Amino acid sequence: MKALQVERSLPRFAAARLAGAVAPGRGARVGPLRLVDVDPPALPGPAWHRVRPRLSGICGSDLATVDGVASPWFEPVVSFPFVPGHEVVGDLDDSGGGVRVVIEPVLGCAARGIDPPCEGCGGDDVGRCRNIAFGQLEPGLQTGYCADTGGGWSLALVAHQSQIHPVPDGWSDESAVMVEPAACAIRGALKCADAGDDLVAVVGAGTLGLCVTAALRRFVGPERLVVGAKHPVQRRLATELGATMVVAPATLARAVRRATGSMALGDDDGAGSQPLQRLTGGAGVVVDCVGSATSLAQALSIVAPGGRIVMVGMPGSLTVDLTPLWQREVELVGAYAYGAEPALGRRTFDLAFELVAEAGLGRLVSATYPLHRHADALAHAAEAGRRGAVKVAFDLRDEKGRERL
Amino acid sequence: MRPGFVLEVDRSTPPTLFHHGEGFRLERLPVGSRIVYPPEPLPVLPDIDGAIRHALLHPVDSEPLPALLSPGMRLTIAFDDISLPLPPMRRPDARQRVIEAVLDLAAEAGVDDVHLIAALALHRRMTEAELRHALGDRIYDAFAPRGLLYNFDAEDPDNLAFLGRTEQGEEVEISKRAAESDLLVYVNINLVAMDGGHKSTATGLASYRSLRHHHNVRTMQHSRSFMDQHRSELHSSNWRMGEVIRNAGVKIFQIETTLNNDTFPKPFDFLQKREWEWSLRDRSTYLGATKALRRTPDRVRRSIFQSVLAPHNLTGVNAGEVDAVHRLTTAKVLEQQVVHVEGQADILTMGLPYISPYNVNSVMNPILVMCLGLGYFFNLYRRQPLVREGGVLIMSHPTRWEFHPVHHPSYIDFFEELLAETTDPLELEKTYEQSFAEDEWYRHLYRTSYAYHGVHPFYMWYWGAHALQHLGGVIIVGGDPKTVRRLGFKPATTLADALEMATDVVGPHPSLTHLHAPPLLLAEVT
Amino acid sequence: MKALPAVRLRLPRPGFPWSAPEVPQGFERPVVERRVGADYDTGWSRRPLARHARLLLLEGPIRLGVRALAAPERAGGDRLAKLSGPLIFAANHHSHLDAPLLLTSIPEPWRHRIVVAAAADYFFANRLIAAASALVIGAIPIERTRVERRSAERASALLTDGWSLLIFPEGGRSADGWGRGHRGGAAYLALRCAVPVVPVHVEGTGRIFGKGAKRPSPGTSRVTFGEALRPGEAESASRFAGRIEEAVAALADEAATDWWSARQRAAKGETPPLTGPRGTSWRRSWALGDRRGPQTRAAPRTAWPRF
Repeated sequence: MKALQVERSLPRFAAARLAGAVAPGRGARVGPLRLVDVDPPALPGPAWHRVRPRLSGICGSDLATVDGVASPWFEPVVSFPFVPGHEVVGDLDDSGGGVRVVIEPVLGCAARGIDPPCEGCGGDDVGRCRNIAFGQLEPGLQTGYCADTGGGWSLALVAHQSQIHPVPDGWSDESAVMVEPAACAIRGALKCADAGDDLVAVVGAGTLGLCVTAALRRFVGPERLVVGAKHPVQRRLATELGATMVVAPATLARAVRRATGSMALGDDDGAGSQPLQRLTGGAGVVVDCVGSATSLAQALSIVAPGGRIVMVGMPGSLTVDLTPLWQREVELVGAYAYGAEPALGRRTFDLAFELVAEAGLGRLVSATYPLHRHADALAHAAEAGRRGAVKVAFDLRDEKGRERL
Repeated sequence: MRPGFVLEVDRSTPPTLFHHGEGFRLERLPVGSRIVYPPEPLPVLPDIDGAIRHALLHPVDSEPLPALLSPGMRLTIAFDDISLPLPPMRRPDARQRVIEAVLDLAAEAGVDDVHLIAALALHRRMTEAELRHALGDRIYDAFAPRGLLYNFDAEDPDNLAFLGRTEQGEEVEISKRAAESDLLVYVNINLVAMDGGHKSTATGLASYRSLRHHHNVRTMQHSRSFMDQHRSELHSSNWRMGEVIRNAGVKIFQIETTLNNDTFPKPFDFLQKREWEWSLRDRSTYLGATKALRRTPDRVRRSIFQSVLAPHNLTGVNAGEVDAVHRLTTAKVLEQQVVHVEGQADILTMGLPYISPYNVNSVMNPILVMCLGLGYFFNLYRRQPLVREGGVLIMSHPTRWEFHPVHHPSYIDFFEELLAETTDPLELEKTYEQSFAEDEWYRHLYRTSYAYHGVHPFYMWYWGAHALQHLGGVIIVGGDPKTVRRLGFKPATTLADALEMATDVVGPHPSLTHLHAPPLLLAEVT
Repeated sequence: MKALPAVRLRLPRPGFPWSAPEVPQGFERPVVERRVGADYDTGWSRRPLARHARLLLLEGPIRLGVRALAAPERAGGDRLAKLSGPLIFAANHHSHLDAPLLLTSIPEPWRHRIVVAAAADYFFANRLIAAASALVIGAIPIERTRVERRSAERASALLTDGWSLLIFPEGGRSADGWGRGHRGGAAYLALRCAVPVVPVHVEGTGRIFGKGAKRPSPGTSRVTFGEALRPGEAESASRFAGRIEEAVAALADEAATDWWSARQRAAKGETPPLTGPRGTSWRRSWALGDRRGPQTRAAPRTAWPRF
């Protein structure tokens, strides 16, 4: 079967890194990712099912892998060669083609056949599983990073019973593929639940930023929600999804200052050469949906003393001055994946289904590509905002050989 | 000196000059259009210092100044700020001449307690260089180091005095020092008919609490125009406040000066000539200047333009009781500026220059472009506007998306944040004005840096409220499209395009009037 | 021993016309009248060639030199803006630097159409000095020891002709940092030609290169121009001279304090006089404070040979 596979090849990683430095997404042509013909993954056990992906999203973390800039942190928790793709909606194989499912990609204790489960999985919080490199599977924190399960960017993968969520009738594949990113966003948004009257600022308005905006609107309901969005389509969507104010990233600090009535530093050199940079007050909660050094630095400069920064975007290794974190006693909180949300008494994925339906997040899927155009697809995904897109996905419904599997 | 007049464009009329920010355009107007030319400059007073002294010693409806001065009294001299005159005048500035004469008399009378206050209301503070230019080094060196010469601070609660309410409930709160002085001498420069009179003190030395009663949409929409005191709600309100100030026992000795409209120094004086009178030298200067300017970096070009000092000078000086003085002053301003125009047009065109009252030594940002065009130039009329109701205003200006971050911090937020939401002045006033006016950071910058007050961009927008209500459309020729759209106007590349677009609103074969300013004029439209 | 004949080195002596002719006997050598001092004719120095040369000198080396030595700060030039026609600039006098300093400070259009009244006995002592004075600063000779009709007539003719005049009515440089009483020349000329007098105050040049100083010590100076004075109707020259002196004193006060305080004192008649307090010389020096005259500098002590 056809699959896009990431191999462990140092020269290819190096080449990807160089190409990715020229323009994001360029690593696809020279990097570790190759379109290959492989055997479909074997079922590891009785509670496992084969899933034939229909749509499979391209996530920011995938782009980092393709460009060779993913953090070395991941090295022991992935297993090569793997097929990426963890935002998957597919057909459940043994159902005769009638049942569509969404994969919850985290490979926790249940999937790994570890009993009793760890502290995380026992509390149904699979995102915090302690055993991601152990058990009956090769290491791999999620489907799409594990050599044994396969991934979404291929014609078939295997999924454990616990990972499977049926798609309600009447849903489009586009909506279904947004469930996984929506779940990540909800995870982040719920870490702002105690924002109260404070201003919540969202840095970045890509898929995650927009989903976080929608999730905040639905589950947290901040009075004032400001989003820094660069591109027109992002601005429009952010407004539609519930931002009370949408501004350009360069003026985010200004907008936050205005909204919080804070004082500011660094704008008063007389010559007017410096843009306004640092606030003395700021937003109670800042959600960083980009995960770059710039975005984190910006978050640090606009968060109120004693406030919180939630990192939803995958950061990687960054060089950031953390003095403001120390001096302003800011909490820096990560939001990786999903599991249980005790605050609402439900699972993140269930909330995600609700959010996708209510907020109509299916509209965020702007373009789909067949597997063999993976280079174009990844370039498009890397420049999504500039090219007027949000989520780019692989469309596997019409791939040759899919029916034969 | 030849009076202003209206020219009807025919086939032999040369292209017409349009100011275009830090540059110029020559545009051929359609045959049959009318061009309103300003009068030529009135002659300058032959002996300015003599005239000033005469005015102080023989004031109207008041005792001579020396009789009002006595040892041990508290004397406060307030003066107009950097927004006047435009462009700034050559040294010695009118304010320096008048205030030196006043201080001479004060010294002779043995007055010790003298304060000088730049009456800037919610404008930005004047820098040392600007104060030195306006008042001269002698006054600056004598008073500033001792803290006796300073900028008015409308956000200093300890130094404001509440004087009462008008019969319409408008609160009057002005500088405490001015209110508690034995004599307040106000030295003004009356560039346009809007300036001066009770507006000097009631606006120049007032706080936001007081200003908001006349700097609002309703007042501006009922000021038709604010250049015509008798039909201006802005002035009625200021006059009511003037009454309260007088009744509170504040004694004002008003000194008003009028300038001629000799606006551009040599060799750029052709800008105030009629195009068919441009000499060979004028034409080559025009060509050379426009070519060179196109190759000049923005920053350099701005500093060249901002360094222009106008050769205009005093045509009159009057002193004494506020109302009596202002009647004489207004008459002199009208003598310089009035041009009779018959009938309104469907389309009014104008070229906006590089300067407005609020960007001296600064950047002409998009909001100021709106204010200059729809506020000031549109309102240069008496009786009725130059353009009919529902007509189109076409103005020419580059209208770049740029701001002076020190001078106009609140403008940036107003433009980026509020105008993206709405351009309706009433909506802006209702929803946002207060939060800008009470923003601590703007307050801090206004008081300690050189920033316009947080609420100032709203006032700019209100200034154009009457025009927004009256016009059927506004087109900016040569303006940056994104910026122009944010202002709620339409961008056009050429005047021909703009005229084409205008016909969609006013119908085919429209009549057109071009306001050939600056130099400033006041159209008496019958 | 026979004396050696004295060896005489004979150089060929060039005869007439290489050397002066001998006067034949019976003739008296005619006495050539040397027209120096007050009689020196400076007409040539106002012809175009000399004026251009002066312009180049003044705007080039002299301006640079003045800036390097005296770092002048100039104030009150705006008071002249409203004037036109010839003016008499009446300044106090500390130093030879004053004339170049003022010539570079006086604004256009007077700067390049001005003559300087200079002491006939000093600046026109011999032909060389006289020519240099006339060329470089445009000096005209004025007798300071006695009233001399011709120099006054010459000056008034120039004023009528549209030339301005820079004059130091104190009649010489200050010896101790304080001024001297004004003489009547400036006032007399102003009355006679109906020309306004601009009082000028110079401060600092005495410290830089005062009377008696051997070499200049660079410092800062300040030039203040005052409001032009016009003689009142039926005002006598001496009264007018008194007013000029008061005006310069008020400028001195303005330069030392500020304009407003100076005006207040002037209005009360309390302007400190230019001539300083009466009394012994040390008290006069003491009262000068920082404005002391030329300072004798101790020779720099070098502890180690310097290369």
